[in-house]
Amino acid sequence: MREAWVVGAASNRFGKMADTGREAATRVSLAAIEKSGLEPKDIGYTFVSNCFGIAEHQAHVGPLINGGLGIPDVPSCTVESACASSSAALHEAFVQVAGGFIDAALVVGSEKLSHLDTLAATSYFAIAADYPFETRNGATFPGLYGTLASAYQAAFPHPPEMLGAIAIKNHANAARNPHAHFQREISMDTYLSSPIIASPLRLYDCCPFSDGAAAVVVAAKEFVKKPVTEPLVIRASARAGSITDMQDRPDLLGLPATKIAGAKAFRQAHMEPKDIDFMEVHDCFTIAEAVAIEDLGFFPKGTGVKAALEGVTVRDGRLPVNSSGGLKAKGHPVSATGVSQVVEVFEQFNGLAHGREVPKTGTALTHNVGATGGSCSVHIFSHR
Amino acid sequence: MTDELPRAGHAVADFVQGYEEGHKLRGFRCPKCGFVSATWGMACPRCGGRNREERELGQAGRVVAFTLLTVPGDEFLNDAPYAYVVVELDGGGRITGWMPTVKSVDGLAVGDRVHFVPSYKPGVQFAKEADASP
Repeated sequence: MREAWVVGAASNRFGKMADTGREAATRVSLAAIEKSGLEPKDIGYTFVSNCFGIAEHQAHVGPLINGGLGIPDVPSCTVESACASSSAALHEAFVQVAGGFIDAALVVGSEKLSHLDTLAATSYFAIAADYPFETRNGATFPGLYGTLASAYQAAFPHPPEMLGAIAIKNHANAARNPHAHFQREISMDTYLSSPIIASPLRLYDCCPFSDGAAAVVVAAKEFVKKPVTEPLVIRASARAGSITDMQDRPDLLGLPATKIAGAKAFRQAHMEPKDIDFMEVHDCFTIAEAVAIEDLGFFPKGTGVKAALEGVTVRDGRLPVNSSGGLKAKGHPVSATGVSQVVEVFEQFNGLAHGREVPKTGTALTHNVGATGGSCSVHIFSHR
Repeated sequence: MTDELPRAGHAVADFVQGYEEGHKLRGFRCPKCGFVSATWGMACPRCGGRNREERELGQAGRVVAFTLLTVPGDEFLNDAPYAYVVVELDGGGRITGWMPTVKSVDGLAVGDRVHFVPSYKPGVQFAKEADASP
Protein backbone atom coordinates (compact mmCIF):
# COMPACT_ATOMS: atom_id res chain seq x y z
CA MET A 1 0.00 0.00 0.00
CA ARG A 2 1.28 3.49 -0.87
CA GLU A 3 1.35 6.41 1.52
CA ALA A 4 -1.51 8.78 0.70
CA TRP A 5 -1.56 12.47 1.55
CA VAL A 6 -4.12 15.23 1.68
CA VAL A 7 -2.29 17.93 -0.26
CA GLY A 8 -4.95 20.59 -0.73
CA ALA A 9 -8.17 21.60 1.01
CA ALA A 10 -10.76 24.33 0.68
CA SER A 11 -14.16 25.29 2.04
CA ASN A 12 -16.61 28.06 1.42
CA ARG A 13 -18.47 29.84 4.21
CA PHE A 14 -21.21 27.63 5.56
CA GLY A 15 -24.65 29.09 6.08
CA LYS A 16 -26.92 30.28 3.33
CA MET A 17 -25.25 30.32 -0.07
CA ALA A 18 -26.34 31.93 -3.29
CA ASP A 19 -24.48 29.28 -5.31
CA THR A 20 -26.17 26.08 -6.29
CA GLY A 21 -24.64 22.94 -4.80
CA ARG A 22 -22.94 22.25 -8.12
CA GLU A 23 -21.42 25.73 -8.43
CA ALA A 24 -20.16 25.66 -4.84
CA ALA A 25 -18.70 22.18 -5.30
CA THR A 26 -16.85 23.24 -8.44
CA ARG A 27 -15.47 26.40 -6.84
CA VAL A 28 -14.12 24.70 -3.69
CA SER A 29 -12.74 21.87 -5.85
CA LEU A 30 -10.73 24.28 -7.98
CA ALA A 31 -9.51 26.09 -4.86
CA ALA A 32 -8.37 22.80 -3.27
CA ILE A 33 -6.59 21.71 -6.46
CA GLU A 34 -4.87 25.11 -6.80
CA LYS A 35 -3.76 24.95 -3.16
CA SER A 36 -2.28 21.48 -3.74
CA GLY A 37 0.05 22.62 -6.49
CA LEU A 38 -1.45 20.01 -8.81
CA GLU A 39 -3.45 20.64 -11.97
CA PRO A 40 -7.03 19.48 -12.65
CA LYS A 41 -5.59 17.10 -15.29
CA ASP A 42 -3.71 15.29 -12.48
CA ILE A 43 -7.00 14.14 -10.94
CA GLY A 44 -7.66 10.48 -11.69
CA TYR A 45 -11.10 10.20 -10.06
CA THR A 46 -13.62 12.56 -8.51
CA PHE A 47 -15.62 11.34 -5.52
CA VAL A 48 -18.64 13.54 -4.88
CA SER A 49 -21.12 13.63 -2.03
CA ASN A 50 -24.40 15.44 -2.49
CA CYS A 51 -26.86 13.50 -0.35
CA PHE A 52 -29.81 15.84 -0.88
CA GLY A 53 -29.05 16.89 -4.46
CA ILE A 54 -32.58 15.72 -5.18
CA ALA A 55 -33.77 18.86 -3.33
CA GLU A 56 -32.13 20.82 -6.14
CA HIS A 57 -33.53 18.47 -8.82
CA GLN A 58 -29.97 17.34 -9.52
CA ALA A 59 -28.47 13.87 -9.38
CA HIS A 60 -25.30 12.69 -11.13
CA VAL A 61 -23.50 15.92 -10.28
CA GLY A 62 -19.98 14.45 -10.60
CA PRO A 63 -19.70 14.81 -14.38
CA LEU A 64 -21.00 18.39 -14.12
CA ILE A 65 -18.29 19.27 -11.59
CA ASN A 66 -15.61 17.62 -13.69
CA GLY A 67 -16.90 19.40 -16.80
CA GLY A 68 -16.75 22.70 -14.93
CA LEU A 69 -13.15 21.93 -13.96
CA GLY A 70 -12.20 21.25 -17.58
CA ILE A 71 -11.67 17.52 -17.00
CA PRO A 72 -14.89 15.99 -18.39
CA ASP A 73 -13.22 12.67 -19.21
CA VAL A 74 -12.25 11.97 -15.60
CA PRO A 75 -14.49 9.34 -13.96
CA SER A 76 -16.68 10.33 -11.02
CA CYS A 77 -19.23 8.80 -8.71
CA THR A 78 -21.46 9.96 -5.91
CA VAL A 79 -20.91 8.46 -2.46
CA GLU A 80 -23.80 8.57 -0.01
CA SER A 81 -23.61 7.65 3.66
CA ALA A 82 -26.03 10.23 5.10
CA CYS A 83 -24.12 12.79 7.21
CA ALA A 84 -20.94 10.70 6.78
CA SER A 85 -21.12 10.89 2.99
CA SER A 86 -17.98 12.86 2.24
CA SER A 87 -15.82 11.03 4.79
CA ALA A 88 -16.98 7.85 3.06
CA ALA A 89 -15.93 9.48 -0.23
CA LEU A 90 -12.55 10.31 1.32
CA HIS A 91 -12.20 6.67 2.32
CA GLU A 92 -12.87 5.58 -1.27
CA ALA A 93 -10.27 8.07 -2.52
CA PHE A 94 -7.79 6.74 0.03
CA VAL A 95 -8.39 3.17 -1.11
CA GLN A 96 -7.83 4.08 -4.77
CA VAL A 97 -4.71 6.18 -4.16
CA ALA A 98 -3.11 3.98 -1.50
CA GLY A 99 -3.99 0.92 -3.55
CA GLY A 100 -2.16 2.32 -6.56
CA PHE A 101 -5.16 2.51 -8.91
CA ILE A 102 -4.86 6.28 -9.33
CA ASP A 103 -2.28 8.88 -8.34
CA ALA A 104 -4.60 11.67 -7.22
CA ALA A 105 -8.27 12.04 -6.37
CA LEU A 106 -10.62 14.93 -5.77
CA VAL A 107 -13.09 14.53 -2.88
CA VAL A 108 -15.85 17.09 -2.70
CA GLY A 109 -19.02 17.38 -0.65
CA SER A 110 -21.72 19.94 -1.26
CA GLU A 111 -25.20 20.57 0.07
CA LYS A 112 -27.86 23.20 -0.41
CA LEU A 113 -31.08 23.06 1.59
CA SER A 114 -31.67 26.69 2.54
CA HIS A 115 -34.34 27.12 -0.13
CA LEU A 116 -36.46 24.68 1.89
CA ASP A 117 -38.35 25.66 5.02
CA THR A 118 -37.63 24.02 8.42
CA LEU A 119 -40.46 21.50 7.99
CA ALA A 120 -39.20 20.36 4.59
CA ALA A 121 -35.56 20.29 5.70
CA THR A 122 -36.45 18.33 8.88
CA SER A 123 -38.39 15.88 6.73
CA TYR A 124 -35.53 15.49 4.22
CA PHE A 125 -33.06 14.78 7.04
CA ALA A 126 -35.43 12.24 8.59
CA ILE A 127 -35.37 10.01 5.50
CA ALA A 128 -31.85 8.95 6.53
CA ALA A 129 -33.44 7.11 9.49
CA ASP A 130 -35.39 3.84 9.09
CA TYR A 131 -38.58 5.13 7.46
CA PRO A 132 -41.15 2.44 8.43
CA PHE A 133 -39.65 1.70 11.85
CA GLU A 134 -38.47 5.13 13.05
CA THR A 135 -39.49 8.09 10.87
CA ARG A 136 -43.09 6.93 10.42
CA ASN A 137 -43.33 6.50 14.19
CA GLY A 138 -42.62 10.21 14.64
CA ALA A 139 -38.82 10.35 14.68
CA THR A 140 -36.84 13.36 13.51
CA PHE A 141 -33.08 13.71 13.94
CA PRO A 142 -33.40 15.95 16.97
CA GLY A 143 -35.90 13.36 18.23
CA LEU A 144 -33.53 10.42 17.76
CA TYR A 145 -30.63 12.23 19.44
CA GLY A 146 -33.01 13.54 22.12
CA THR A 147 -33.88 9.91 22.82
CA LEU A 148 -30.19 9.05 23.13
CA ALA A 149 -29.69 12.10 25.38
CA SER A 150 -32.57 11.02 27.63
CA ALA A 151 -31.14 7.49 27.95
CA TYR A 152 -27.71 9.00 28.74
CA GLN A 153 -29.29 11.39 31.26
CA ALA A 154 -31.05 8.49 32.98
CA ALA A 155 -27.82 6.47 33.21
CA PHE A 156 -25.47 9.36 34.03
CA PRO A 157 -27.44 12.24 35.57
CA HIS A 158 -25.85 15.60 34.75
CA PRO A 159 -26.89 19.25 34.91
CA PRO A 160 -27.87 20.99 31.64
CA GLU A 161 -24.82 23.26 31.98
CA MET A 162 -22.63 20.32 30.91
CA LEU A 163 -24.20 20.05 27.47
CA GLY A 164 -24.40 23.86 27.45
CA ALA A 165 -20.62 24.09 27.86
CA ILE A 166 -20.18 22.03 24.69
CA ALA A 167 -22.38 24.45 22.73
CA ILE A 168 -20.60 27.48 24.21
CA LYS A 169 -17.15 26.04 23.39
CA ASN A 170 -18.07 25.27 19.81
CA HIS A 171 -19.66 28.68 19.25
CA ALA A 172 -16.50 30.32 20.65
CA ASN A 173 -14.40 28.36 18.15
CA ALA A 174 -16.74 29.11 15.25
CA ALA A 175 -16.53 32.82 16.09
CA ARG A 176 -12.89 32.54 14.97
CA ASN A 177 -13.53 30.47 11.84
CA PRO A 178 -14.28 32.38 8.62
CA HIS A 179 -15.91 29.20 7.18
CA ALA A 180 -18.43 28.98 10.03
CA HIS A 181 -22.18 29.45 9.80
CA PHE A 182 -22.48 31.02 13.28
CA GLN A 183 -19.52 33.35 13.86
CA ARG A 184 -20.64 34.47 17.29
CA GLU A 185 -20.24 33.39 20.87
CA ILE A 186 -23.17 32.47 23.08
CA SER A 187 -23.57 32.68 26.86
CA MET A 188 -24.86 30.06 29.28
CA ASP A 189 -27.96 32.23 29.78
CA THR A 190 -28.62 32.19 26.04
CA TYR A 191 -28.18 28.41 26.02
CA LEU A 192 -30.40 27.76 29.06
CA SER A 193 -33.16 30.08 27.88
CA SER A 194 -33.37 28.57 24.39
CA PRO A 195 -36.51 26.52 23.72
CA ILE A 196 -36.70 22.72 23.95
CA ILE A 197 -36.64 21.14 20.49
CA ALA A 198 -36.52 17.46 21.53
CA SER A 199 -36.13 17.05 25.28
CA PRO A 200 -33.66 17.31 26.86
CA LEU A 201 -32.12 19.02 23.80
CA ARG A 202 -32.63 22.76 23.40
CA LEU A 203 -32.28 24.87 20.30
CA TYR A 204 -28.61 25.55 21.12
CA ASP A 205 -27.89 21.82 21.47
CA CYS A 206 -28.73 21.39 17.78
CA CYS A 207 -26.61 22.02 14.72
CA PRO A 208 -28.20 24.26 12.09
CA PHE A 209 -29.33 23.34 8.59
CA SER A 210 -26.49 24.82 6.54
CA ASP A 211 -25.54 25.16 2.92
CA GLY A 212 -21.89 24.62 2.18
CA ALA A 213 -19.18 22.91 0.21
CA ALA A 214 -15.71 21.60 0.99
CA ALA A 215 -13.08 19.72 -1.00
CA VAL A 216 -9.74 17.98 -0.51
CA VAL A 217 -7.18 16.54 -2.88
CA VAL A 218 -5.71 13.15 -1.98
CA ALA A 219 -2.48 12.14 -3.73
CA ALA A 220 0.18 9.46 -3.47
CA LYS A 221 3.36 10.56 -1.72
CA GLU A 222 5.49 9.49 -4.68
CA PHE A 223 3.27 11.40 -7.12
CA VAL A 224 3.49 14.71 -5.26
CA LYS A 225 7.27 14.75 -4.79
CA LYS A 226 7.55 18.40 -3.71
CA PRO A 227 4.41 19.45 -1.82
CA VAL A 228 3.64 23.17 -1.78
CA THR A 229 1.73 22.90 1.51
CA GLU A 230 2.29 20.83 4.63
CA PRO A 231 0.55 17.59 3.65
CA LEU A 232 -1.65 15.52 5.94
CA VAL A 233 -0.35 11.96 5.92
CA ILE A 234 -3.39 9.67 6.13
CA ARG A 235 -2.36 7.25 8.89
CA ALA A 236 -5.79 5.63 9.10
CA SER A 237 -8.97 5.58 7.06
CA ALA A 238 -11.48 3.33 8.79
CA ARG A 239 -15.21 2.85 8.48
CA ALA A 240 -17.79 0.79 10.31
CA GLY A 241 -21.51 0.21 10.46
CA SER A 242 -23.88 -0.78 13.21
CA ILE A 243 -27.53 -1.62 13.78
CA THR A 244 -29.46 1.36 12.46
CA ASP A 245 -32.56 1.08 14.60
CA MET A 246 -32.28 2.17 18.22
CA GLN A 247 -34.91 -0.38 19.12
CA ASP A 248 -32.51 -3.22 18.28
CA ARG A 249 -29.35 -1.91 19.96
CA PRO A 250 -28.08 -3.51 23.15
CA ASP A 251 -27.91 -0.06 24.79
CA LEU A 252 -28.50 3.58 23.93
CA LEU A 253 -25.44 5.02 25.67
CA GLY A 254 -23.16 5.21 22.64
CA LEU A 255 -22.82 4.54 18.93
CA PRO A 256 -21.38 1.06 18.24
CA ALA A 257 -20.13 2.17 14.79
CA THR A 258 -17.94 4.84 16.41
CA LYS A 259 -16.39 2.29 18.74
CA ILE A 260 -15.65 -0.12 15.89
CA ALA A 261 -14.35 2.49 13.41
CA GLY A 262 -12.28 4.17 16.12
CA ALA A 263 -10.65 0.92 17.22
CA LYS A 264 -9.92 0.01 13.58
CA ALA A 265 -8.37 3.43 12.94
CA PHE A 266 -6.10 3.28 15.99
CA ARG A 267 -4.96 -0.21 14.93
CA GLN A 268 -4.22 0.99 11.37
CA ALA A 269 -2.28 4.00 12.64
CA HIS A 270 -0.48 2.02 15.36
CA MET A 271 -1.63 4.72 17.76
CA GLU A 272 -3.69 5.09 20.91
CA PRO A 273 -6.01 7.89 21.97
CA LYS A 274 -3.18 9.46 24.00
CA ASP A 275 -1.26 10.01 20.74
CA ILE A 276 -3.90 12.39 19.31
CA ASP A 277 -3.31 16.15 19.71
CA PHE A 278 -6.69 17.48 18.55
CA MET A 279 -9.81 16.23 16.85
CA GLU A 280 -12.96 17.09 14.98
CA VAL A 281 -15.89 14.91 16.06
CA HIS A 282 -19.46 14.61 14.85
CA ASP A 283 -21.41 16.97 17.12
CA CYS A 284 -24.70 17.24 15.24
CA PHE A 285 -26.09 17.66 18.76
CA THR A 286 -24.09 18.44 21.90
CA ILE A 287 -24.83 14.98 23.32
CA ALA A 288 -23.22 13.48 20.21
CA GLU A 289 -19.87 15.13 21.03
CA ALA A 290 -20.03 13.84 24.62
CA VAL A 291 -20.76 10.30 23.45
CA ALA A 292 -18.22 10.39 20.57
CA ILE A 293 -15.22 11.23 22.73
CA GLU A 294 -16.21 8.33 25.01
CA ASP A 295 -16.81 5.83 22.20
CA LEU A 296 -13.46 6.77 20.59
CA GLY A 297 -11.71 5.84 23.83
CA PHE A 298 -10.68 9.28 25.10
CA PHE A 299 -12.97 9.34 28.14
CA PRO A 300 -14.64 6.63 30.24
CA LYS A 301 -18.37 6.13 29.63
CA GLY A 302 -20.43 8.72 31.46
CA THR A 303 -17.63 11.30 31.76
CA GLY A 304 -17.42 12.76 28.23
CA VAL A 305 -20.29 15.07 29.05
CA LYS A 306 -18.12 16.88 31.63
CA ALA A 307 -15.09 17.48 29.38
CA ALA A 308 -16.08 20.86 27.96
CA LEU A 309 -17.28 22.35 31.27
CA GLU A 310 -14.03 21.20 32.92
CA GLY A 311 -11.99 22.89 30.18
CA VAL A 312 -10.37 19.74 28.80
CA THR A 313 -11.76 20.04 25.26
CA VAL A 314 -11.66 23.81 24.81
CA ARG A 315 -9.36 25.17 22.11
CA ASP A 316 -6.37 25.68 24.43
CA GLY A 317 -7.20 22.70 26.65
CA ARG A 318 -5.41 19.37 26.99
CA LEU A 319 -7.42 17.82 24.13
CA PRO A 320 -9.09 20.39 21.85
CA VAL A 321 -12.29 19.08 20.27
CA ASN A 322 -13.95 20.83 17.33
CA SER A 323 -11.63 23.83 17.03
CA SER A 324 -13.55 24.62 13.81
CA GLY A 325 -16.77 25.11 15.75
CA GLY A 326 -17.98 21.64 14.83
CA LEU A 327 -21.26 20.81 13.17
CA LYS A 328 -22.88 22.63 16.07
CA ALA A 329 -21.63 26.11 15.14
CA LYS A 330 -19.53 25.85 11.99
CA GLY A 331 -22.67 24.31 10.52
CA HIS A 332 -23.78 21.02 9.01
CA PRO A 333 -24.16 21.02 5.23
CA VAL A 334 -24.68 17.24 5.37
CA SER A 335 -22.47 16.08 2.50
CA ALA A 336 -19.78 18.73 3.03
CA THR A 337 -19.33 18.02 6.74
CA GLY A 338 -16.91 15.07 6.62
CA VAL A 339 -14.52 16.78 4.22
CA SER A 340 -14.79 20.09 6.08
CA GLN A 341 -13.44 18.37 9.21
CA VAL A 342 -10.32 17.57 7.16
CA VAL A 343 -10.17 21.18 5.95
CA GLU A 344 -9.87 22.20 9.62
CA VAL A 345 -6.99 19.74 10.14
CA PHE A 346 -5.34 21.09 6.97
CA GLU A 347 -5.64 24.68 8.19
CA GLN A 348 -4.32 23.78 11.66
CA PHE A 349 -1.36 21.85 10.13
CA ASN A 350 -0.56 24.73 7.77
CA GLY A 351 -0.84 27.62 10.21
CA LEU A 352 -3.99 28.89 8.48
CA ALA A 353 -6.33 28.60 11.51
CA HIS A 354 -5.73 32.21 12.45
CA GLY A 355 -7.05 33.07 15.90
CA ARG A 356 -8.18 29.52 16.67
CA GLU A 357 -4.85 27.68 16.72
CA VAL A 358 -4.69 24.57 18.89
CA PRO A 359 -1.58 24.13 21.11
CA LYS A 360 -0.24 20.99 19.39
CA THR A 361 -0.77 19.98 15.76
CA GLY A 362 1.28 16.80 15.46
CA THR A 363 -1.62 14.39 15.02
CA ALA A 364 -5.34 14.80 14.43
CA LEU A 365 -8.43 12.59 14.29
CA THR A 366 -11.67 13.21 12.41
CA HIS A 367 -14.90 11.38 13.25
CA ASN A 368 -18.00 11.58 11.07
CA VAL A 369 -21.28 9.76 11.71
CA GLY A 370 -24.06 8.79 9.31
CA ALA A 371 -27.49 9.36 10.85
CA THR A 372 -27.60 7.88 14.38
CA GLY A 373 -24.59 5.67 13.81
CA GLY A 374 -25.65 3.34 11.02
CA SER A 375 -22.33 4.35 9.50
CA CYS A 376 -19.17 6.01 10.77
CA SER A 377 -15.77 7.10 9.44
CA VAL A 378 -12.64 7.77 11.47
CA HIS A 379 -9.48 9.21 9.92
CA ILE A 380 -6.14 9.86 11.60
CA PHE A 381 -3.59 12.29 10.19
CA SER A 382 -0.02 13.22 11.02
CA HIS A 383 2.85 15.18 9.53
CA ARG A 384 5.47 13.58 7.29
CA MET B 1 -42.61 -18.39 -12.62
CA THR B 2 -42.52 -18.35 -8.86
CA ASP B 3 -40.45 -15.96 -6.80
CA GLU B 4 -37.44 -18.04 -5.84
CA LEU B 5 -35.67 -15.36 -3.84
CA PRO B 6 -35.58 -15.88 -0.08
CA ARG B 7 -38.40 -14.13 1.78
CA ALA B 8 -38.96 -13.00 5.34
CA GLY B 9 -41.89 -14.29 7.39
CA HIS B 10 -43.73 -11.08 6.63
CA ALA B 11 -43.14 -7.94 4.56
CA VAL B 12 -42.74 -4.37 5.83
CA ALA B 13 -46.20 -3.68 4.41
CA ASP B 14 -47.59 -6.51 6.57
CA PHE B 15 -46.08 -4.87 9.67
CA VAL B 16 -47.74 -1.55 8.78
CA GLN B 17 -51.04 -3.22 7.93
CA GLY B 18 -50.72 -5.20 11.17
CA TYR B 19 -50.83 -2.15 13.39
CA GLU B 20 -53.08 -0.06 11.17
CA GLU B 21 -55.78 -2.61 10.46
CA GLY B 22 -55.06 -5.81 12.36
CA HIS B 23 -54.49 -4.00 15.65
CA LYS B 24 -51.43 -6.09 16.37
CA LEU B 25 -47.67 -5.62 16.36
CA ARG B 26 -45.88 -8.10 14.13
CA GLY B 27 -42.26 -9.02 14.73
CA PHE B 28 -39.67 -11.74 14.49
CA ARG B 29 -37.84 -14.04 16.87
CA CYS B 30 -34.37 -15.40 16.10
CA PRO B 31 -34.32 -19.18 16.64
CA LYS B 32 -30.55 -19.05 17.18
CA CYS B 33 -30.13 -16.36 19.85
CA GLY B 34 -33.75 -15.70 20.84
CA PHE B 35 -33.57 -11.97 19.99
CA VAL B 36 -37.04 -10.55 19.38
CA SER B 37 -37.40 -7.53 17.11
CA ALA B 38 -40.03 -5.57 15.24
CA THR B 39 -37.57 -4.51 12.54
CA TRP B 40 -37.93 -6.22 9.18
CA GLY B 41 -34.98 -8.22 7.88
CA MET B 42 -33.88 -11.56 6.46
CA ALA B 43 -31.60 -12.31 9.41
CA CYS B 44 -31.22 -11.43 13.06
CA PRO B 45 -29.61 -7.97 13.44
CA ARG B 46 -27.82 -9.19 16.57
CA CYS B 47 -26.35 -12.59 15.65
CA GLY B 48 -26.96 -12.96 11.91
CA GLY B 49 -29.09 -16.06 12.50
CA ARG B 50 -31.41 -16.97 9.59
CA ASN B 51 -34.96 -18.30 9.43
CA ARG B 52 -36.43 -15.84 11.90
CA GLU B 53 -39.78 -16.99 13.24
CA GLU B 54 -42.95 -14.96 13.12
CA ARG B 55 -43.70 -13.48 16.52
CA GLU B 56 -46.68 -11.37 17.54
CA LEU B 57 -45.28 -8.77 19.95
CA GLY B 58 -46.82 -7.75 23.26
CA GLN B 59 -49.02 -4.65 23.20
CA ALA B 60 -47.88 -3.19 26.51
CA GLY B 61 -44.51 -2.47 27.99
CA ARG B 62 -42.15 -0.07 29.68
CA VAL B 63 -40.58 3.16 28.36
CA VAL B 64 -36.82 2.72 27.93
CA ALA B 65 -36.08 6.20 26.56
CA PHE B 66 -38.14 9.06 25.21
CA THR B 67 -38.04 12.61 23.97
CA LEU B 68 -40.68 15.33 23.83
CA LEU B 69 -40.65 16.68 20.29
CA THR B 70 -41.74 20.24 19.63
CA VAL B 71 -40.54 20.45 16.01
CA PRO B 72 -42.05 17.51 14.10
CA GLY B 73 -41.65 16.06 10.64
CA ASP B 74 -44.29 16.69 8.00
CA GLU B 75 -46.54 13.70 8.79
CA PHE B 76 -46.89 14.85 12.42
CA LEU B 77 -47.27 18.57 11.78
CA ASN B 78 -50.57 18.96 13.60
CA ASP B 79 -49.72 16.71 16.55
CA ALA B 80 -46.68 18.41 18.14
CA PRO B 81 -45.69 18.40 20.86
CA TYR B 82 -45.67 14.65 21.28
CA ALA B 83 -43.38 12.05 22.83
CA TYR B 84 -41.22 9.73 20.71
CA VAL B 85 -40.58 6.57 22.70
CA VAL B 86 -38.55 3.37 22.72
CA VAL B 87 -40.67 0.72 24.46
CA GLU B 88 -39.54 -2.61 25.91
CA LEU B 89 -42.55 -4.81 25.24
CA ASP B 90 -43.86 -7.44 27.62
CA GLY B 91 -42.78 -10.82 26.30
CA GLY B 92 -39.66 -9.40 24.67
CA GLY B 93 -38.63 -7.05 21.90
CA ARG B 94 -38.39 -3.30 21.65
CA ILE B 95 -40.29 -1.00 19.34
CA THR B 96 -40.37 2.75 18.71
CA GLY B 97 -43.57 4.71 18.68
CA TRP B 98 -45.14 8.04 19.45
CA MET B 99 -47.50 9.34 22.12
CA PRO B 100 -49.69 12.28 21.07
CA THR B 101 -51.25 12.53 24.53
CA VAL B 102 -47.93 13.41 26.17
CA LYS B 103 -47.68 17.20 25.93
CA SER B 104 -44.91 18.02 28.40
CA VAL B 105 -41.58 16.59 29.55
CA ASP B 106 -43.16 15.98 32.95
CA GLY B 107 -45.91 13.91 31.36
CA LEU B 108 -43.74 10.81 30.94
CA ALA B 109 -40.81 9.13 32.64
CA VAL B 110 -38.39 6.33 31.81
CA GLY B 111 -39.91 3.18 33.27
CA ASP B 112 -43.55 4.25 32.79
CA ARG B 113 -45.99 1.57 31.62
CA VAL B 114 -47.54 2.22 28.20
CA HIS B 115 -49.80 0.33 25.81
CA PHE B 116 -50.33 0.23 22.06
CA VAL B 117 -53.27 2.26 20.76
CA PRO B 118 -54.67 1.39 17.31
CA SER B 119 -55.23 4.65 15.40
CA TYR B 120 -56.02 5.99 11.96
CA LYS B 121 -52.96 8.25 12.24
CA PRO B 122 -49.55 7.14 10.94
CA GLY B 123 -47.10 5.22 13.09
CA VAL B 124 -47.19 2.94 16.10
CA GLN B 125 -49.02 4.88 18.77
CA PHE B 126 -48.80 4.40 22.53
CA ALA B 127 -50.63 5.81 25.57
CA LYS B 128 -49.87 5.62 29.26
CA GLU B 129 -51.59 2.78 31.10
CA ALA B 130 -54.50 4.14 33.10
CA ASP B 131 -53.20 2.44 36.23
CA ALA B 132 -49.62 3.58 35.69
CA SER B 133 -49.52 5.57 38.92
CA PRO B 134 -51.13 4.06 42.02
